[in-house]
Amino acid sequence: MRVLWSIGLLSAAIIAFQLALMQVLSIVQWYHFAYMVISVALLGFGTAGTVLSIFRKKMLAHLTAWLFWLMMGAGLGMALVTGIAQTPAIRFDAYLLFTDLKQAGLLLLNYLLFFIPFFLGALAIGLLFVAYAERISKLYFANLTGSGMGGILALVGVGILSPQQLTTVMAILPVLAAWLILPRRYLIVLAAIVIIGLKWMFPSPLHLSQYKDLSKTLLLPGAKITREKNSPGGLIQTLTSPALRYAPGLSLNATTTGDVNYAAFVNGDWFGAVLKADTSCILNYTTLALPYVIGPRKEVLVLSAGGGAHIQQARSNGAEKITAVEPNAVMLNILQNDWGPGVRALALEPRTFLSTGTEEFDLITLPIAGSFGGAAGLFALQEQFVLTREAFLEMWIRLRHDGAISVSAWMDYPLRHPLKLLATITEMLYSAGITDPRQHIAAVRSWGTITFAVTRSPLTAKEIAAVRQFCEDMQFDPAILPGLLESERAQYNQLEDTLLFHYINRILSPGGNGFYNDYDFNIRPATDNQPYFQQFIKLSRLPRLAGFLGNRSLPFLELGYLLLIATFVQIILLSFILIIVPLFRKGWKSAALPGILVYFSGIGYMFVEMVLIQRCILYFGTPVYAAAAVITSLLIFSGLGSYVSPYLMQPRKLLIAVLICITGLLLVYAPALTPLLQNTMHLPLLFKAFIVLLLIAPLAFLMGIPFPAGLSYVARTEAAAVPWAWGVNGCLSVISTGLASIIAIELGFSWVMMLAAAAYGLVILPLLSASGRSSFRTGQKKPFSNLQQSHR
Amino acid sequence: MFKRSTVQTPHIRTFVLMQLATAILTLALSAAPFQEDAYRESRNAMVTQQIRKEGIRSPAVLAAMRAVPRHLFVPESMRSYAYSDRPVPIGYGQTISQPYIVAYMTQAITPQPGFKVLEIGTGSGYQAAILSGIVKAVYTIEIVAPLGQSANERLKQLGYNNVTVRIGDGYHGWKEQAPFDAIVVTAATAYIPPPLLEQLKENGKMILPVGSPFETQWLMLVTKKDGKAITKRLLPVSFVPFTRK
Repeated sequence: MRVLWSIGLLSAAIIAFQLALMQVLSIVQWYHFAYMVISVALLGFGTAGTVLSIFRKKMLAHLTAWLFWLMMGAGLGMALVTGIAQTPAIRFDAYLLFTDLKQAGLLLLNYLLFFIPFFLGALAIGLLFVAYAERISKLYFANLTGSGMGGILALVGVGILSPQQLTTVMAILPVLAAWLILPRRYLIVLAAIVIIGLKWMFPSPLHLSQYKDLSKTLLLPGAKITREKNSPGGLIQTLTSPALRYAPGLSLNATTTGDVNYAAFVNGDWFGAVLKADTSCILNYTTLALPYVIGPRKEVLVLSAGGGAHIQQARSNGAEKITAVEPNAVMLNILQNDWGPGVRALALEPRTFLSTGTEEFDLITLPIAGSFGGAAGLFALQEQFVLTREAFLEMWIRLRHDGAISVSAWMDYPLRHPLKLLATITEMLYSAGITDPRQHIAAVRSWGTITFAVTRSPLTAKEIAAVRQFCEDMQFDPAILPGLLESERAQYNQLEDTLLFHYINRILSPGGNGFYNDYDFNIRPATDNQPYFQQFIKLSRLPRLAGFLGNRSLPFLELGYLLLIATFVQIILLSFILIIVPLFRKGWKSAALPGILVYFSGIGYMFVEMVLIQRCILYFGTPVYAAAAVITSLLIFSGLGSYVSPYLMQPRKLLIAVLICITGLLLVYAPALTPLLQNTMHLPLLFKAFIVLLLIAPLAFLMGIPFPAGLSYVARTEAAAVPWAWGVNGCLSVISTGLASIIAIELGFSWVMMLAAAAYGLVILPLLSASGRSSFRTGQKKPFSNLQQSHR
Repeated sequence: MFKRSTVQTPHIRTFVLMQLATAILTLALSAAPFQEDAYRESRNAMVTQQIRKEGIRSPAVLAAMRAVPRHLFVPESMRSYAYSDRPVPIGYGQTISQPYIVAYMTQAITPQPGFKVLEIGTGSGYQAAILSGIVKAVYTIEIVAPLGQSANERLKQLGYNNVTVRIGDGYHGWKEQAPFDAIVVTAATAYIPPPLLEQLKENGKMILPVGSPFETQWLMLVTKKDGKAITKRLLPVSFVPFTRK
């Protein structure tokens, strides 16, 4: 029992440390670099498997000593690596990675540094797995449940403690794990004191990259941080400075700008600005005022309200009823006090709000798509369900007869955001039964922004005249308007060429989607199945773009997706080495190895987890808690499946039956999950939670069975391969996370689910071939027939 | 003999050491001009290969780019990159723009010897130094105090006496010296400060980059005509990091 607790604590520590580390790296660098660094560090699991498969006997011979040093090492690593990574000699800046070779070396050092605690912790768990192989299903249960608890611990922890403090707390868990199972406890107490002492002596203040939004804003005169709050969504900070102003794409006719009361940041990244009341009408001097020019807006829905500038604009235009929807609940609590009276504020995903209500609005506004000057494609991997074709259709349904949807974008180069927005709007209008979209779209352009107003009714002559007058007053240019002349399109804001208008015309023309194939960037509208609005890269066009923009330019154009691919390639290479090296050591003798590789790949599990998280984010409307709920319930039910597997497990046939059930369930879920969730989205939270539990529990329970069953089988028949099989699972789990993202971006979530089913189906093959011949080479005719005996 | 040699050895050692010291000193003293020559060559190559070749034709701009020692405007640790076709980090999240961009922006405002130019965003002072050799007076404002101070010292030290540096918020422009013939905004901004337009002379030009220096950027030229500002999105300088095609 103590061993189970020990494994549970270690597993909890590793997962919680991983989440805390992700938070630390997201604060000092960017989320995507955090993902890259941690993905590589997670290969510590695979490496642990390799090391164990090579040194298994030696390590088992001195089990107690090894466990002591590994657990203490893991604790010490967790306590210190974040601090060491912040020292000037090792600190790297992701922004300079493509300009300064030295940074690549520092990145490697960071990889190695963060690898240590994962490797040591995983090695300790692996050693326990090998040492107590006969109780593998229970150990695996402890491993999964502990990991689930670790997730909850981190979620609660990051709301109370800073990420650095959390890593210190996590560092104590491996020590506790050692305390439970090892003798000479005075040594363990001593080690704990050393860890805490070292952490105390070397505190680790975080140094943000100088290129982060917060770092730059802090350089403004009189800048000071006024609030700081840890939250599951990240570190929230607010900042004031007299030099802080907000007026995106301001008209050159404006005589003032908007003074900012304060700006809010999440993990050092810009979140939004709260304008001072006396200058809150400044947005009326931007293209964002377009919908108010077209007609009065009494009831306004502000989606992804952020800092609330759109709320203030609505109020300054006489809106009587404003509903603001913002998914970041902690931020909402901070900001809504400054939004002024009469605002109904809801902490929800915008899509969840749109799907669950029936109210109609005069105006629905969205934040500016993209960021000023682009965000280097850093958000390419971020699901944005509010910018999908389905989302726009839901908004359309919630409009009054004379209502409008308003959405803006920065004029980027090469053109991407404005074109994708227009394509999305046009397709939405066609699917809403509108035959001539041009009659329903007005778009005006300033020197920096473009705003689209999509009206429920065709634009009237009066409204068109009002838009023209607005352009004249503000020195904007109409880009789309019924009856617009070519000569009107660039009077004040001239362009080097007229390609923009050519593109607009092509998208608006019948058969305009043919343009999607011709254009070098992906401007096909995002859908709920592929909700990556800011993913513009077409992999097939990369060579052409590199030729046009230069090889070193490209990474900064679409950094997010390219980083994902770079991470994926790195992990594949490293995993290959980690898996192949022990094979050489083994001399490629065992015919069971290919079977083990397929069986323990674990790809299906990770694919399922990712799809369920994405679907539940939309379903529950709160991303962090939805993800936590899915991961935790998946792990716990899988843990239960693992726990009972020895009691259920009959000969091989039953295991095959389990795999067939999983495959079948996934094949049913693939087409049915989205409609089921969409049709029940309006139900109260408890009902929805119950539905999700019903969906996850049986699947997760079944998915918890094959791994321990297979591992205990390998333990009995080819004990030396246990750590290797475990390592294979560790490596491929990391690979499959990246692979799932790439498939979701390129093909959509339904494909991820289908491929998960295929992965589980594929696992049946080694079992079938193991029936009489060589694959799981055991010397037994019915290799899985005696599984029951191996579990006591 | 043995004795003699032992007596003489220290003298020989002293002599050799002295020779070595002299050689090192000579090398050290002669290294600076050598290095200066190397930088001059790099600068000429920069102008020929990165600037002239890419279409910058203004003789005044080309001469200024040849004359200003760019390596003295980048941190010492980054000097090897000073004449490369790329922006160089100068600390505080700021960069010195790649040479071509500096030349392009300077040419775009068609600077004349009698011009009074306002620069927003001094940075290391390089753009101001380039303008200094072409126009009558340059007024430059830097919001990051340490950057502004070091740029001021550097410009003074190098003898750019017609450049005046102010540390402050560039949003308000420089009312006391207004109006300006041209305004160069070196830092990208999500809005164009209204006071800057007010301080621009009739027919005056303002140029600013849009986008982050590490990303795709394009330049925008604002021309004031009949009191109205007309913007023109210039050919994207594909300012994209570090290479331009």
